[in-house]
Amino acid sequence: MTPSPTATGYAHREVTKPPNWHGLVVWDVMLNAVTTGVFLVAAVGDLARPTAFAPVAAWAYPLALAVLLADLVCLVLDLGNPLRFHHMLRVFKPSSPMSLGVWCLTAYSLPLTGLAACALFGWRTEWLHPALLVVALPFSFGSAAYKGVLFSTTAQPGWRDARWLGAYHVTSALAIGAGVLWALAEWLGASEAAGLLRWATAGLILLGVYPAVRFAVEFRASRVVMVVVTVLSFVLPLVLVATPQAAWVAAVALLVGGYVARSALVHRPHRS
Amino acid sequence: MAAEFDVTARGSPAADPPPGILGKVMRHLLHPFRRGTPPQPQPATGFYTDTSVCIGCKACEVACKQWNQLPADGFAFTGNSYDNTGALSAESWRHVKFVEQFDVLRSLRERVPGNGGGTSEPLAERAEHSPADGRLSLDVIPPPADRWLMMSDVCKHCAAAPCQHACPTGAIVYNEFGNVYIQPDICNGCAYCIAACPFGVITRSHFDGHAHKCTLCYDRQKDGLVPACAKACPTASIQFGPVAELRERAAKRVDELKQRGHAAAHLYGNQRTEAYSELHSFYLLLDRPAVYGLPDDPVNPWVHMRGDYLRTVAFGLAGLLLTLAVFLLAGRPA
Ligand code: SF4
Ligand code: SF4
Ligand code: SF4
Repeated sequence: MTPSPTATGYAHREVTKPPNWHGLVVWDVMLNAVTTGVFLVAAVGDLARPTAFAPVAAWAYPLALAVLLADLVCLVLDLGNPLRFHHMLRVFKPSSPMSLGVWCLTAYSLPLTGLAACALFGWRTEWLHPALLVVALPFSFGSAAYKGVLFSTTAQPGWRDARWLGAYHVTSALAIGAGVLWALAEWLGASEAAGLLRWATAGLILLGVYPAVRFAVEFRASRVVMVVVTVLSFVLPLVLVATPQAAWVAAVALLVGGYVARSALVHRPHRS
Repeated sequence: MAAEFDVTARGSPAADPPPGILGKVMRHLLHPFRRGTPPQPQPATGFYTDTSVCIGCKACEVACKQWNQLPADGFAFTGNSYDNTGALSAESWRHVKFVEQFDVLRSLRERVPGNGGGTSEPLAERAEHSPADGRLSLDVIPPPADRWLMMSDVCKHCAAAPCQHACPTGAIVYNEFGNVYIQPDICNGCAYCIAACPFGVITRSHFDGHAHKCTLCYDRQKDGLVPACAKACPTASIQFGPVAELRERAAKRVDELKQRGHAAAHLYGNQRTEAYSELHSFYLLLDRPAVYGLPDDPVNPWVHMRGDYLRTVAFGLAGLLLTLAVFLLAGRPA
């Protein structure tokens, strides 16, 4: 019995179902990049050159905390049943990137709150500040690292092939963090920190080129998205690195480019 | 039948009365952290679905809806054969699929003589060859090359289930029968299991915001009953039992079908592959899996996790080291 070659049944349909992730999740992924990027770069600066970075760090930690809180609100509101958000903490399951991420975010939020409080109320003790930084660093890093892997370890079209998504997200987060802090330092008149952050921004953007290209190819991003992200996240901020007055433009370009890339990412399965 | 009546006679345990507002809040907060005693493991049970005998009656769909008190889907016209369910979802845990494998053009040429095909006898000649009363044959039964494929789809109860791997609340567990079960009082609707399932089984309910799918009639199994869908299936297309037994039965049936000339008959999901575990709900198919809406070669997304983390951490650490180097080396007085 030879079936007709035209009778393909359900073969033309995508088998998987997209999760109900839309705008709030785009914001979640974006805010995750901003809070971890800002914190990580500020913490490294604060530990390496405390005097130069003190004025920037005083703003960076409260900013990272505010963005983290906004991120957590997005995470909770996006649940099918937000009143059950605490169920996330009933198990610790490192094999699930979402579980690992929730625990990392929770652990990151505690020392970050301490650092933000110290910054806001001017408590800067010799041991407490670096201790909080050292505790927060690995959890902040974990909070950035889990996000891309959360998407790439799914069965969804686009995400399932994106082996470099995690590396793209984390390098992009660091570049965004450095860019935002550079603009902040310029605004605060912290010229030594601004000079350092300018070069850090450029270096981190260049480091992110390889994972971004690999991710775009695997993900099969649309041409429009590729052009917009290339210009906003790479070309424009690199050109502006030579112009200190344009720090805010570079920071905004990095933020908008990062948002466009993440919006394309989150909505990809809905297009299949 | 007696076993069914026993169950209703036994009643159900009374729920704790909620003691006031504060009690309710405390219960809401603490209840998910309570742990019971895990039941003793039993031999793994599952389904063997023999699609070669499915007649598309949808008794399984109806039985599942009735037993689990699932709402209707709106009776939409999908335009796809007799399939008015469309897909598995939080409200439809069984989905009977229909594939019409008919060579429509050939049929038309044969049945409408002189209609452009030019292969059939003209109407008058055909009338001459008809029985003595001169009437045209009313034979509308398709020739043997044409066929229907029908299949009752359901959760595959994967031995290593990506949905269970993904679930951050621990709502998805393997129960004592080795079935993949979503605890409805634990799920918070994060939807990660939906993204993880390579078979598109789970969705989030519009009613309560939680993820739902086939429970493999855990409640019925606990009471020694056969799942409602298998019980309702009139052709034994859906067979329930210990997985090891089902595998033997299925292998025999494939041999039998091959001997009868169905060379394409094969089992789907009865054995693990390099990229995916065995399925506790596996199928006998007569065509490529994709024709039935199944992935030809399913991949467990978790096979990539280690490498994905490695690349992420390597580039993240490189970024931090680069930042540190810039901060330590740049702008220092020579
Ligand atoms: S088929 Fe999907 S929902 Fe069912 S157990 Fe496997 S991964 Fe989970
Ligand atoms: S939606 Fe529910 S069952 Fe699915 S992963 Fe989230 S908590 Fe688990
Ligand atoms: S086993 Fe029970 S829950 Fe699963 S499809 Fe059959 S009737 Fe529905």
